[in-house]
Amino acid sequence: MKAAGSPEYYLPAGILLFLIVLPFLLPNPFYVHIVVMMAVFVVLGGAWNLIGGYGGQLSLGHAAFFGTGAYVSTLLVNAYGISPWITMWLGGLAALLLSLPVGIICFRLQGPYFAIATIGLAETLRLLVLHFRDITSGAQGLTVPFRGDAPWLLQFGSKIPYYYIALIMAVGVVLITRRMERARLGHYLVAIGQNQDAAEALGINSARAKARALALSAFVTGVAGVFYAQYTYVIHPDSVFGLGLSIQIALVAIVGGVGTTMGPVLGAVIMEFFIQSTQIIFAGQYPGLELMVYGGLLVAVILWRPRGVIPWFARLYQGLVARLPAAGGARA
Amino acid sequence: MKGDILLEVEGLAKRFGGVQAVADLSFHVREGEILGMIGPNGSGKTTTFNMITGFYPPDRGRVRFAGRDITGLPPYEVCGCGICRTFQVAKPFRELTVIRNVMTGTLLRHPDPALAETRAEEVLRAVGLAERAQMQAGSLTTIDQRRLEVARALGTAPRLLLLDETMAGLNPTEVAEAMRLIASLRDQGLTVVVVEHVMRAVMSLSDRIVVLDQGTKIAEGNPREISSDPRVIQAYLGAEYQRA
Repeated sequence: MKAAGSPEYYLPAGILLFLIVLPFLLPNPFYVHIVVMMAVFVVLGGAWNLIGGYGGQLSLGHAAFFGTGAYVSTLLVNAYGISPWITMWLGGLAALLLSLPVGIICFRLQGPYFAIATIGLAETLRLLVLHFRDITSGAQGLTVPFRGDAPWLLQFGSKIPYYYIALIMAVGVVLITRRMERARLGHYLVAIGQNQDAAEALGINSARAKARALALSAFVTGVAGVFYAQYTYVIHPDSVFGLGLSIQIALVAIVGGVGTTMGPVLGAVIMEFFIQSTQIIFAGQYPGLELMVYGGLLVAVILWRPRGVIPWFARLYQGLVARLPAAGGARA
Repeated sequence: MKGDILLEVEGLAKRFGGVQAVADLSFHVREGEILGMIGPNGSGKTTTFNMITGFYPPDRGRVRFAGRDITGLPPYEVCGCGICRTFQVAKPFRELTVIRNVMTGTLLRHPDPALAETRAEEVLRAVGLAERAQMQAGSLTTIDQRRLEVARALGTAPRLLLLDETMAGLNPTEVAEAMRLIASLRDQGLTVVVVEHVMRAVMSLSDRIVVLDQGTKIAEGNPREISSDPRVIQAYLGAEYQRA
């Protein structure tokens, strides 16, 4: 049996402890901002991974769910003064409802239809938001009125509380992923990804399994959109519905390793690190540079690490667990 | 030991472009029997399986199972009713372990993964794959892949099992083993339809045999009747051998 003192326990516990004290170790709020964005992308990449990784259905329009959450929540907050702690769930629910017709229609077919439909969905929503200026204030975007330190309104003077909320969400997504992976739905999705005909012959309704994974994914993405709106105080159609965001969400999971619990976590940290570093080093001198970073990372991963960086990191981690001193017998 | 009619196929027909793959095919399967289905290549055996299990919608005709009309139901619902099939070309979930492959089947009746795993282990023991449980399905030998196909199907707890050329490519020892397995399934109360080219196996296993040629049924009966039926001999060997 594994003892409580084995590295298998104290290593993850140590990492969690490190994450808890992390904001106090960082020299200034800008670095806190970077780790908040890393956590947001852990959530987004993790949500994408449920349908894109486990379900094997490439979505290039997850911004549709993100933007829906952000806009639904901000509109409700501004119009009715509802607390974002409540609109967070409503934003997620709106994204979930939006995903249902997409899933029901697209998953009857196999092939690239779902990827195309998701791009179309996000673009359509972006254009609708631009068009209905009376409600959405169009290209100007929506702002969350600043109320100072108002925890009930999900507003804080410091970035540190946002960090903890984002951290909780990120850990939540990892737990949701683990739970789904071990449940019937996870088994079914993986089987469908391997051979859909064989899965159907075994009584699996593949369209329904995928639609469920998409609904879960959309819900989490919508909640993340609400958090983002509260965190940045301002949302634009281009920033929350844009194709660039959709691609970044997908890349986080692909770079990290699709269909794995921890892949999107690593992907988010690596991607955000590269993007922020290039922005710091070149300080906006070369517009569009981050797009080249996306492209470069994608090419590198596809060429050298088609399963993402996770297998490499997993070996590293296992090696660490094996080498660290153990109070009890560590399992290989 | 023939029971009630479990599966009834009536006037089934399917055309692919200019080819009438199956034309006006009717037969039935009784509870607890092994029905053999034979016929030359392209005679419509696999197409018939595909229509029964919902992979192809039939152009005409009805399929009734345990008194219920299941014509045109999607494959997963047909499986839910209690009909499970294997594929002529094994379709394992290659990157998954053998036990995970079978669990995918057992999860249908046991939504709790722990229970599904226990049930999968039982099924693996029954087909003689227990020692390979942790192997990747893609690395199994041909016979073990066939065993896995049968195991996965059994995992869904079917009343009727449709086996599509389970013995193709097996050596005589393996064929004998497969025959023992199928016979033991019948003895446990399962109803089985086997599509098979290995004539010796079909003849000794089946309670009854249906012979197809060019999409139509040309003969039906017990193995002795079939082996002496002139139409069957003609379909398999050609007209000139008929009087030999």
